[in-house]
Amino acid sequence: MTETASSSRTHPRRARGLSTRVAVHGVLAGYTLIAIFPVLLVILNSFKNRRGIFTDPLGLPGEGTFSLEGYATVLTEGDFATYFSNSLIVTVSALFLILLLGAMAAHALAEYRFRFNTLLGIYLILGIMVPIRLGTVAILELMVDLNLVNTLLALILVYTAQGLPVAVFILTEFMRTLSRDIKDCARVDGLSEYRIFFEVVVPLIRPVLATVAVFSMIPIWNDLWFPLILASGDATKTVTLGVQQFIGQYTVNWSAVLAALSIAILPVLGLYALFSRQLIAGITSGAVKG
Amino acid sequence: MSELTLQDVRKSYGEAKVIHGIDLQIQNGEFCVFVGPSGCGKSTLLRMIAGLESITGGDVVIGGEQVNDIAPADRGIAMVFQSYALYPHKDVYGNMAFALRHAGEDKAVIDERVRKAADILGLEALLKRRPKELSGGQRQRVAIGRAIVRDPEIFLFDEPLSNLDAALRVQMRVELLRLHQRLKTTMIYVTHDQVEAMTLADRIVVLRDGRIEQVGTPLELYHHPENRFVAGFIGSPKMNFLSAERSGDGTTVTTHGSAPIEVPVQPRDTPGAVTLGIRPEHVGLVAPGAGDLDARILVAERLGGETFLHFDLGDDDAFIVKADGGATHESGETVGLTFPPDALHLFDAEGVSFAPRQRHALIG
Repeated sequence: MTETASSSRTHPRRARGLSTRVAVHGVLAGYTLIAIFPVLLVILNSFKNRRGIFTDPLGLPGEGTFSLEGYATVLTEGDFATYFSNSLIVTVSALFLILLLGAMAAHALAEYRFRFNTLLGIYLILGIMVPIRLGTVAILELMVDLNLVNTLLALILVYTAQGLPVAVFILTEFMRTLSRDIKDCARVDGLSEYRIFFEVVVPLIRPVLATVAVFSMIPIWNDLWFPLILASGDATKTVTLGVQQFIGQYTVNWSAVLAALSIAILPVLGLYALFSRQLIAGITSGAVKG
Repeated sequence: MSELTLQDVRKSYGEAKVIHGIDLQIQNGEFCVFVGPSGCGKSTLLRMIAGLESITGGDVVIGGEQVNDIAPADRGIAMVFQSYALYPHKDVYGNMAFALRHAGEDKAVIDERVRKAADILGLEALLKRRPKELSGGQRQRVAIGRAIVRDPEIFLFDEPLSNLDAALRVQMRVELLRLHQRLKTTMIYVTHDQVEAMTLADRIVVLRDGRIEQVGTPLELYHHPENRFVAGFIGSPKMNFLSAERSGDGTTVTTHGSAPIEVPVQPRDTPGAVTLGIRPEHVGLVAPGAGDLDARILVAERLGGETFLHFDLGDDDAFIVKADGGATHESGETVGLTFPPDALHLFDAEGVSFAPRQRHALIG
């Protein structure tokens, strides 16, 4: 206390800094609370029995309401291990394809001069403005023709298409800011254009790749629409679709639904943790002189 | 053999012509500097030699072999870029070893060459650092080291010093000269800075709008510029140009009402007005009435070691005289200016200079 007082006397700026910092952290804490509240509610209630959920939805699980029946149902009924691995396979594969193809397209658009460069760029980015769900019927027909209905490949392809426009857009803009010299230098060093991309460009854009990965990952993981239409078979169900079996026409097994959702958060958190270090670098890149 | 020959080299982007047929021969071991204002095509020309820009017409020949369609890596060149272009995810050693590793060179050979280059440039202590942990000068040294390691026949430098601060630039300039003395490799260096060109070059190529204006040693360009552009570009402050009238046999001129001045150049028949040129450091200062012209000092810039006196004689640019640092002249004072005949240049209406009767003593 005395230390703060004396330092604020000698450095009046620091005192103002303190109040600003309190205000900033207040706002941030408030926002965090609002953002985390629903997630917290889901997790809390997943540890309660049905009566507990309905009588006191905001209460902590306690005596008489604490129960693991939701988790027990999820782990015994239904094949959630399969659903999880389906979700993971689809998300990770689609992400990989989005990043690889998106970065390659962006590199070509940013680096090479050729006819219709701008036109092609606009065409690739146009997808941002057209929701892919508008094409559901056509996509379904296509998948039927290709014999891909009820396969994970169908989902991977659709999600790759869905994620590419934003990825190409963000990555192209970023790649235009990369120094031309460094690529030329690699050319003088004798690297082929592919190796320039993989050994020089990709390491330079890693933070942006992580950013794109996080933004593309969440909608894929959470999607219900395409799994329902393209891959509703038991072997290809994803987590979001698997949860639906607890939502009946007349009764909903809320404990099981919430338990399944709580478990479903974990892999996303894991992937996010994987990308987050790079993500922060991506958000702040260019903000400070390197 | 690492001579470089450019034969009628041309470059155009669609309709826009950037390089209009360059013929140039660069000898083995020569330090050649391309200099010119921005947009003159000097960097484009260098990138064409490197193989980073396609060649629209003509031939680039390195060591007797036409290399127009040969990849940059196979031309026997190494290039140092303005922005250093270091790989940020590799340490200094990794940066210098990259090209060799990629070429599948033996590990021991790579290590030896990298350490030798590091020794030449004083980088031994920094080999494990990442580029972002280095200062500008150190980064530039790494970039040069990366070029040395490849043991090229020709070094290409694209404005390598322009990102450095003034003091460091002077220091690196000296280091580059010493490097050239030590390696004796052909070096081609692009800059817009005429001081760098004058201090580094064995031979300077002055470019403007994709054409060569003049090729010569630094002193040739300084003493015998072939045209008004070169005369104005080489030297700082730039040469003064005075509108003049010819009288008599064509080499005697008057300017701004001066007495006739005999310029020691070979007479030549050209129509139109002529321009008299004299460098700021060659103008003499005398008492009013005693010189070729009287003029009033507008501003006196005192730099300590020297003083720049600015006059307005009615030409497009200010007339500048470089005087001694101890000169006592003040703004507003009227002085006499003398023009020593040997220091005078004469240009015709097209800007082409009249050939001197005698070459300067320092130039063979």
